[in-house]
Amino acid sequence: MIEALSAMGSVFTDPYLLGLIFATTVLGVIIGVLPGLGATTGAALLLPFTLTMEPVQAIAVLSTIYVSATFAGSITAILINTPGTSAAAATTFDGYPLAQKGEAGRALGIAVVSSTVGGVFSVIVLCIAAPLLARVAYEFRPPEYFALTIFGLSMLASISAGGAVKNLIGGIFGVWLSTIGAERVTAIERFMFGNYDLYEGLSFVPVFIGLFAISELLVQSKMVNKIVETVALKAVKLPTKEDYKRIWKTILRSCGIGTFIGVLPAEGATVASMIGYSEAKRWSKNKEEFGKGSIEGIAGAEAANNAATGGAMVPTMVLGIPGSGTTAIILVGLMVHGLRPGAYLFTEQVEKVYQIFGSMLLANLMFMAMGLYAARLFARVSLVPISILWPIVFALSVIGAYALSQSLIDVWIALIFGVIGFFARRHGFAVAPIAVGLILGEMVETNLQHSLKMYDGQWWMIFAQPLAAFFLILAFLGLCGPYLYSLIIKHKD
Amino acid sequence: MKKKLYIIPLFLTLFSFVVIYLSLQLETSPEMIVGDSMQARSFPIFLMVINLMLVGILSLQFYKTYPKEVELEKFPTWSSMLLFLIFYILVKVSGDMFVAIPTVMFLMGLTWGQKKVWISLVNAIATPLSVFLLFDYVLQVRFPRGWLTNIYYG
Repeated sequence: MIEALSAMGSVFTDPYLLGLIFATTVLGVIIGVLPGLGATTGAALLLPFTLTMEPVQAIAVLSTIYVSATFAGSITAILINTPGTSAAAATTFDGYPLAQKGEAGRALGIAVVSSTVGGVFSVIVLCIAAPLLARVAYEFRPPEYFALTIFGLSMLASISAGGAVKNLIGGIFGVWLSTIGAERVTAIERFMFGNYDLYEGLSFVPVFIGLFAISELLVQSKMVNKIVETVALKAVKLPTKEDYKRIWKTILRSCGIGTFIGVLPAEGATVASMIGYSEAKRWSKNKEEFGKGSIEGIAGAEAANNAATGGAMVPTMVLGIPGSGTTAIILVGLMVHGLRPGAYLFTEQVEKVYQIFGSMLLANLMFMAMGLYAARLFARVSLVPISILWPIVFALSVIGAYALSQSLIDVWIALIFGVIGFFARRHGFAVAPIAVGLILGEMVETNLQHSLKMYDGQWWMIFAQPLAAFFLILAFLGLCGPYLYSLIIKHKD
Repeated sequence: MKKKLYIIPLFLTLFSFVVIYLSLQLETSPEMIVGDSMQARSFPIFLMVINLMLVGILSLQFYKTYPKEVELEKFPTWSSMLLFLIFYILVKVSGDMFVAIPTVMFLMGLTWGQKKVWISLVNAIATPLSVFLLFDYVLQVRFPRGWLTNIYYG
């Protein structure tokens, strides 16, 4: 424990890491305020830039982008009624109306404080829960891992964008993508069409750059003529005593909700903020203020979305199951830098793990300072014309896709998946399930193969393992629970 | 279900059948390698069967509730996709990403409504140049040799 705490503390005394986290927080806030970019796209674009860094520095960069961009989405949500990230969508409901009343500074102050409390709370939970979960995960064998990945895939049904069925189809497509290349046991080539660049399968990085960055570029091309109206902001104001009295319960509740939602595989900050907001409304004594500039609404959404960031890191690091689109990229970052996610990470690389946690904590404190003192400046960044911004994103995307393997095929893969991602989104399919499916695909197939070997081909024996059965029941309830519940209600009526 | 909406389930069904067909063409491994586990073809087929079931549910949903019609894309979207194609052709012809990237960036800026040509030009030159130098000096990434990179690398 002391070793872990000293590793966390070392982040605060390492000047290089401090400087790096500061610079990344600035970048993360800029990425967060630029409509369309967001934490996931930002992390995908930055991943190639971390290639030559030490593992801790690289993951610190990615996780800092995650927390700071998640927070920064609220700046534009409040000032221009456009959430910088999808996680800040719920912040527009009350943030913008309050800003229109001339209280933009107060709205931002509440968003900053709530986000920081949410973020710090979730890092503390991460520090406590991750090692405990790692101890449990240490006992996992292939059947348990197989069931867990099925549970993770089933959770895709409840991702906010897209519908449940569409998300599951996206997830299946992602899992299928993971079968491209040589099969791991028999080395039989699958869906390669003679292209030996695909022998080891699709690289995650170009696929993610395509799905998140290039598809977003095409989505943004529809916004060419959109006119943005800004609200004047003089200075960010810290909440008053009266404000604190009204929002402290909401913040604490949203911290719990956000962290819990984040821990669930495949759930993320967007779902957390929506639930945080609706729970704030449900428990509020001033329900009539919601939608008209309620400070509880802002606090509920913002505390929850930042609390989800730490929560989402728990399954990512302990089980290798991403808690959101951005953590899917962080997971790839861990793999690229030789840190194999899983229980062993917590026994063999404890120091590195806690340094990563420490850097997340530091990033939360840094974006608070930036939010309070530089929000006005950052809000201006959001007004950069898209005809300048998105050509830059194009350049970063193709160079970033090339950089990891230094192969042009990765550039074509990024462009192809950009177009696929765009058409998927055009028809209401979210791209995050495809990314999560691609990551989980290998785990599903490999663990199913190992399980079948363990039980001499008797697949039903997987259900006889208590923990595996537990996860499969959870998956079943996650998928069919809402329908069964509505059937029961109908039957009662 | 209106005519246009058949396209999505139809496409997904077709995709599933194509994958199943391709999977069935895969070689099979000897029993001594696979043992009690699965053949390479089994997993993709299993996935596509689930996919077909999901597509069935999706079609039913479309039939019950008519989803919003998707608007056709306007010029900047199609032109951006065309620019991706131009990027591909330029890289193939010149062998150089740093001929293709500035060209596409410049044209993208203009097609996205940038009225000041010089701003688009500066953006198209300065951004790739600075990213190239960063990758070359700091990350030591070598880019494919082509018209411009040949001059730089010597």
